Amino acid sequence: MSDKNKGLSKAQEIYLNRSQRARELKAAGKKIIGYPCVYVPLEMLTALDLVPYRTCGAIKEPVTEADRALPSSFCPIMRNCLDCALKGKNDFLDGMATIHSCDPQEKTAHVWESYTNYPYFHFIDMPSTVRPEALEYFKSQLNDFRKTLEAFTGKKLSTDKLEAAIKSHNQQRTLVRELYELTKPSPPRISGTEIVQVVKALMSLPVVEGNDLLTEVISEAKNRTDGPEKESARLLIWGSILDDTDIMQVFEAKANVVMDESCGGIRAYRAEVKFTADPLEGLADYYLKEITCARTFRQATLGETRKDYARDLQSRFGYLKGIIKEWKINGAIMLLVRYCDPFAFEIPSLKDYFGGLGVPSTYIEYDYTTGALAPLRTRVEAFLETIS
Amino acid sequence: MVVEKGKKTINRLKSMYPLRAKVNETYLKSVEAIQAGKPAVWGMLNFYYGDPVLKAMDIEVVYPENYGAIAAATGVAQQYLERADADGFPSHLCGYSLTTLGYASRMMKELNGQIPPEAPFGGMPKPLFLMSSAAICDARYKWFQALGRYMDAPVWTLEAPTPGVKEFFIEGYYDSMVDLGVKHLRDFVAFVEGMVGKKMDWDKLDKTTNLMIEINRVWHEVNELRKAKPCPMHSRDFWSAMPAALFLAGDLEDSLRLYQNMYKEVKDRVNSHLGAIPEEKYRLVFAELPPWHSLGFFDKLAERGWNFVVESFGYRPPIPIDLSKVSDPLERITRFSLQFFAGYYEDARKQNVLGGAFAYPYLKYAREWKCDGALLHPLISCRSASTHLPYVADMLMEELKVPSLSIEGDIVDLRLFNPEDALAKAEPFEETMEHYRKIRKQAGFDW
Repeated sequence: MSDKNKGLSKAQEIYLNRSQRARELKAAGKKIIGYPCVYVPLEMLTALDLVPYRTCGAIKEPVTEADRALPSSFCPIMRNCLDCALKGKNDFLDGMATIHSCDPQEKTAHVWESYTNYPYFHFIDMPSTVRPEALEYFKSQLNDFRKTLEAFTGKKLSTDKLEAAIKSHNQQRTLVRELYELTKPSPPRISGTEIVQVVKALMSLPVVEGNDLLTEVISEAKNRTDGPEKESARLLIWGSILDDTDIMQVFEAKANVVMDESCGGIRAYRAEVKFTADPLEGLADYYLKEITCARTFRQATLGETRKDYARDLQSRFGYLKGIIKEWKINGAIMLLVRYCDPFAFEIPSLKDYFGGLGVPSTYIEYDYTTGALAPLRTRVEAFLETIS
Repeated sequence: MVVEKGKKTINRLKSMYPLRAKVNETYLKSVEAIQAGKPAVWGMLNFYYGDPVLKAMDIEVVYPENYGAIAAATGVAQQYLERADADGFPSHLCGYSLTTLGYASRMMKELNGQIPPEAPFGGMPKPLFLMSSAAICDARYKWFQALGRYMDAPVWTLEAPTPGVKEFFIEGYYDSMVDLGVKHLRDFVAFVEGMVGKKMDWDKLDKTTNLMIEINRVWHEVNELRKAKPCPMHSRDFWSAMPAALFLAGDLEDSLRLYQNMYKEVKDRVNSHLGAIPEEKYRLVFAELPPWHSLGFFDKLAERGWNFVVESFGYRPPIPIDLSKVSDPLERITRFSLQFFAGYYEDARKQNVLGGAFAYPYLKYAREWKCDGALLHPLISCRSASTHLPYVADMLMEELKVPSLSIEGDIVDLRLFNPEDALAKAEPFEETMEHYRKIRKQAGFDW
């Protein structure tokens, strides 16, 4: 029996009671800042001794309060996140840092600010392209974020502290990649469900505590004898977010999910922030270019005057090729949260890309409720039969 | 096509008709242009940002968003929607985007690049390139990216800064938006030059920019006249006349003359106390996209005394700003385009309305145009034009005691809008408007 206060058991405990540590830290005098999306540069919060806490939805929670502020035909994740906030589930927060990573994030941010009363609330605008002028603009946005954070905390955001925070968060990225190395063997040393718990725990803890947890989890998983069973299907899941174990368990009932390419999985950890003379430059570059969310407009060549579909697919999805090879993936699931436009537009092209690599794929949609689990199970089983 | 029969109660402006005709002209011109070897481009509504550049380069632009509405109203959209569905695009995506994707699939996969024979208004010719825009919603750049599956047309995505109300006033914030805009447009000009193989005529761009600004100033003034009681111009005339200002459709000098004519006609109506409907009992604001296929519905409401006096933030001209001292046309374009949002921010901040540019304008409209109610039109497949509507309703009631009536519809699925059901709600809503008139009076409002 593993120690409940360590490693995987600890991650599960945190997953099941996410806000407990944040509440303890709040009671100890720390300030807790919520963020709804992985595009918010957490390094800037950490450097000012603020505790970042990702505001997630809860699929078991029926949306009631958010109905007065957002229509039903809208991103179910953001509706659910706002609903939790309006019900007071995040009442320990001292503020929110929001970002224009997609249209629902932007719209919800303004509504959120209007209907709540946190001491701090900031909205970061984010360009849609990775062009040099867009990068420059994004850097100026981060500089404005710095100004409001400094005003809120009464502290200066020094280069030294920011570099130290970047180092800690980069370490977390390295450790998460190390964690995913453990899904390469067959059977994997750690399940997709356990990784969902670990990653969600990371999003509930200060970075240093998260790194300690990761170190424990990696050590435990490497040495365990009770790991996941070997399944014939080794799946890649691609989507906006998969942050709930009930959903992951649907996939893992008869398959090994060895890669979760969503922002509940590896997406926010695949690359690292570069150290630059002005740390904001490295942060802007990382957050705008390196996180492979469908929200960003990418091209084979910036401003290209000739277009080639194969090169276009490579520029948008090329990062998946190495993953498929290294993790020996034999099936891909494009998991779409209903009404998520950036990801929905990608589906046919990504299917083309997977097809070009000889990887069978399917597109499955759900609405981030427990009611979606049964049809999800049917679709997954049908897909697994086709690839078996 | 759904067409409402019967008496037309709304007194349409004569000056509106030649402006409305510019939409048809634009489509036909683009087909002629490509037949004559001139380049044609598919563009997204871009709020004055990219259009003047293309206009100055003599490039014909067609707008798939508008074309989606035309395809829906003429009954051809369904086959394109089915084709997009068969190609694997999720059905809850923007209806206009699915129409375009299905259209492109048919044109490129079946007809080898020829315009589909069933396409109304001459169809959309195969584009030289695609000009998408990040303004308003994600679909409007992801959709053009997705077209790469069918055609090898390069895509330029126009950036569109979207500030928060509070953040906008951080020192240097506005300047950074201008800086982005100017640099981005300069690169866009180079891209267009590369695509068409000729250099920008900067004098022509200068003149085009000035005309665009002046057209929209006059168009703004026309709409200011609608504050009069009774309101001399109905929303239907707004929607019919707007393309020449919003999309720069047709010859700009001609458009300026036509908007000036419209100003005179509306001013004459104000002077002679002539309303757009026979008896104005209720003044309403409409949000956001109208039911293009059922506009006769507004005649039925006009019979009940409902006058729509202000509407559709996303289509309205920017609040005028003096740009006469800005010599660089790209900077003038940028500042003018930013004004579309930014024109409202100072007031929004003062009133602590944090709901962004999408929501605050309705508070201003209801207050200044003295509206008794709001008719909200959430659309199943256009979330960007719908997301803010519950918030708008809440704010109108909270701040101004103005009630809202919400009637669901869609931009291409005509079955979702039920005019009969909507009309059945009219009478109870009139009682609500009457009730809140009293409440407003008690609260010290002057209407």
